[in-house]
Amino acid sequence: MNALNSLMDGFATAATPMNLLYATIGVVLGTAVGVLPGIGPAMTVALLLPVTYSMEPTSAFIMFAGIYYGGMYGGSTTSILLNTPGESSSVVTAIEGNLMARAGRASQALATAAIGSFVAGTIGTALVVMFMPLVARFAVSMGAPDYFAVMLLALLTVTAVLGASRLRGFASLGLGLAIGLVGIDSVTGQRRLTFGQAPLADGLDIVVVAVAIFAVGEALWVAAHLRRKAARTIPVGQPWMGRQDWGRSWKPWLRGTAYGFPFGALPAGGAEIPTFLSYVTEKRLTRHPEEFGKGAIEGVAGPEAANNASAAGTLVPMLALGLPTTATAAVMLAAFTQFGIQPGPLLFDKEPKLVWALIASLFIGNALLLVLNLPLAPAWAKLLQIPRPYLYAGILFFASLGAYAVNLQAFDLVLLLVLGALGFMMRRYGLPVLPLVLGVILGPRAELQLRRVFQLSGGDVSGLWSEPLAVVIYVVIAVVLLWPVVRWLRGLRRQAEAPDVVGAPHPEDTSEVGHLTGTGGRDEQ
Amino acid sequence: MMDALRGRSELGVAALLGVVGVLVAVDASGLDAGTAQVGPVGPKVVPLLVAGMLLVCAVLLAVDVLRGGQGELEAGEDVDLDQSSDWRTVLLLVAAFVANIALIDRVGWVISGTVLFWGSVYALGSRHYVRDAVVAVVLSVATFYGFYVGLGIALPAGILQGVL
Amino acid sequence: MTVVVLGYAPGPIGEAALDRAVAEARLREARLVVVNSSRGDAAVDNRYLQEDEVSELGGRLDASGLRWSLHQPVRGRDAADEVLQAAEDARADLVVIGLRHRSPVGKLLLGSTAQRVLLDARCPVLAVKAR
Repeated sequence: MNALNSLMDGFATAATPMNLLYATIGVVLGTAVGVLPGIGPAMTVALLLPVTYSMEPTSAFIMFAGIYYGGMYGGSTTSILLNTPGESSSVVTAIEGNLMARAGRASQALATAAIGSFVAGTIGTALVVMFMPLVARFAVSMGAPDYFAVMLLALLTVTAVLGASRLRGFASLGLGLAIGLVGIDSVTGQRRLTFGQAPLADGLDIVVVAVAIFAVGEALWVAAHLRRKAARTIPVGQPWMGRQDWGRSWKPWLRGTAYGFPFGALPAGGAEIPTFLSYVTEKRLTRHPEEFGKGAIEGVAGPEAANNASAAGTLVPMLALGLPTTATAAVMLAAFTQFGIQPGPLLFDKEPKLVWALIASLFIGNALLLVLNLPLAPAWAKLLQIPRPYLYAGILFFASLGAYAVNLQAFDLVLLLVLGALGFMMRRYGLPVLPLVLGVILGPRAELQLRRVFQLSGGDVSGLWSEPLAVVIYVVIAVVLLWPVVRWLRGLRRQAEAPDVVGAPHPEDTSEVGHLTGTGGRDEQ
Repeated sequence: MMDALRGRSELGVAALLGVVGVLVAVDASGLDAGTAQVGPVGPKVVPLLVAGMLLVCAVLLAVDVLRGGQGELEAGEDVDLDQSSDWRTVLLLVAAFVANIALIDRVGWVISGTVLFWGSVYALGSRHYVRDAVVAVVLSVATFYGFYVGLGIALPAGILQGVL
Repeated sequence: MTVVVLGYAPGPIGEAALDRAVAEARLREARLVVVNSSRGDAAVDNRYLQEDEVSELGGRLDASGLRWSLHQPVRGRDAADEVLQAAEDARADLVVIGLRHRSPVGKLLLGSTAQRVLLDARCPVLAVKAR
């Protein structure tokens, strides 16, 4: 099969000593930042963008992929071992995992989390392999109207579906598009929004924007609200599992994967719902219900698998459509842009070697993570003793260093500060970050495609829907945009029919984990 | 009272959106659609669309804020939203950052990076002055050489030119 | 009533200081104020007493027959500052702290809590070494 051959080639590329080294660096870094509270894979990849500028793109992405998966492993280590888990990223794992640790079963909890992550990650990546050829077949036949439609879909989905407030999503998108406009218009060569400043003529470097928004903005925001805490890690020996634990874990692993992957692949998904669904399912199906609430291994195995499978699933829209559904995916898109690679359907066609090497390195990275994390988990926990001032000062330090190194211009640091302040403001006032980043990345490209459409159609607006794929996508967009309007109207009707009922479900309710209503379209939160 | 104030501060966001929208529109209208235009959609179209979108958002946001709507503050592992913002820390961090910007080309990265790191650590509350200074210097020197040797990027040496 | 303030952290030195503080408080018929603080900078601080350790300490102090109270401030301030603050707030007659040996370089790089308390306290300070 052709895909299998390409995958084998990918393995050959990914398994060179140099790339293996990068993969190792990536998983080590990823685990480290996953363990540390406050820093995440998105911020780390953003900080590394300036450094990787002179690297081979393949090697850089292998490293980023390692960071991506590693972040999740690290997160589960912290949530299991920290005796006051709080708002860690693996909140559901923490429920049973932490209880297991307190009951002296930390080794088993860590083991089931790590192995479950490996299983889910491998299966999830294999599913990605299956999907890629389908995408390739579409991609070749796409024309300008299709590209424009796909980009529009990406922009609107991220804006209108993710995030609590659509209005603020659109505001964020608008700002991103405006930032993307700065510079020289690629078609006519005219300067836009440069205000006579020469350095602005090249546009605002996506690297500076990404570092500013993801690293500087985040660091400033946390600095303004630093949560002071003094917890303890639960001591643990080598992670391992007994036979009974294996027997109880393997089905939750598979079920978790089945939950996680589709949700990750769908733009409206994410990791919260599948991990919660997995937890609830395991609780209902377990043969040891009395253990739930005291440390049940199924409650760790399932959600962890769901988490990792969701991460793998996120790669499908990102690689296939250029549609990122998480911050990390968005930063990786920025990385593609930095290397001059166009994300989206053409990615697979133009850079197949890169994509296959990336996928192969995901398999390798998963294996590396299992090998690294199983024995070293207690050591990772020691990282939690690093004082936060050093961490956040380090973030600002490396952010400045990176931004300066891009062009060796102090002006970029001014930009970094201004955009970092913007990132701070956005976090303060609830403007989601993803639409802005996507606006900067996709805005200029979408504009190019739009103008090409009109060029080809000679000014006729119907050129936009002249291709069948474009029509399909526009229908999808319409559904996505109108769905909440439909819900709102239905809510109004329900209110009119049953005036004593308190009224349509409020957006705040859906954010409480216990109130999920199981409707397919989740547009709040 | 705090709520009313906070509501009003988000109007600043709406104002920002409005200002940016106007800027984009004004800049776009100054574009000459002239000789280099290829195709019916010129360089003005998308900027004007974007400006329109920003202005609409600005108005709708202002309306939402005045009606009591509020953007959600971003939560996180390290974030404690019960306290009000610690502006002193943020301003000190910004000061350290600005110091770096001002100094980097004049006295070189080693010194400006040290100032940046030490200032940031101080702003975030660390009071181990000597230890922090040592770490800052080590980091700055290490990255200075690291970037040169590893990435071929020569960070400015400033007044330490010749020493390094 | 006379007050004895103890700066406490788990470990042999802390235990020695605790024993001495209890003895001193008994001697003076004072109440004991135990300060176990953390800057809260790191996610994990092994010197900060967790719930189970607090109960254990409480049991021991109850058994001693003294009036006692435990303060565990986490507000980004140094241990020395917290002990000094507690001493001032309670108008302490005696402060008891544990003493860790630090080399001159260590003191330069890491600072000395004991030194600061000794120099800045308004009342006598008793520095206890591990047995």
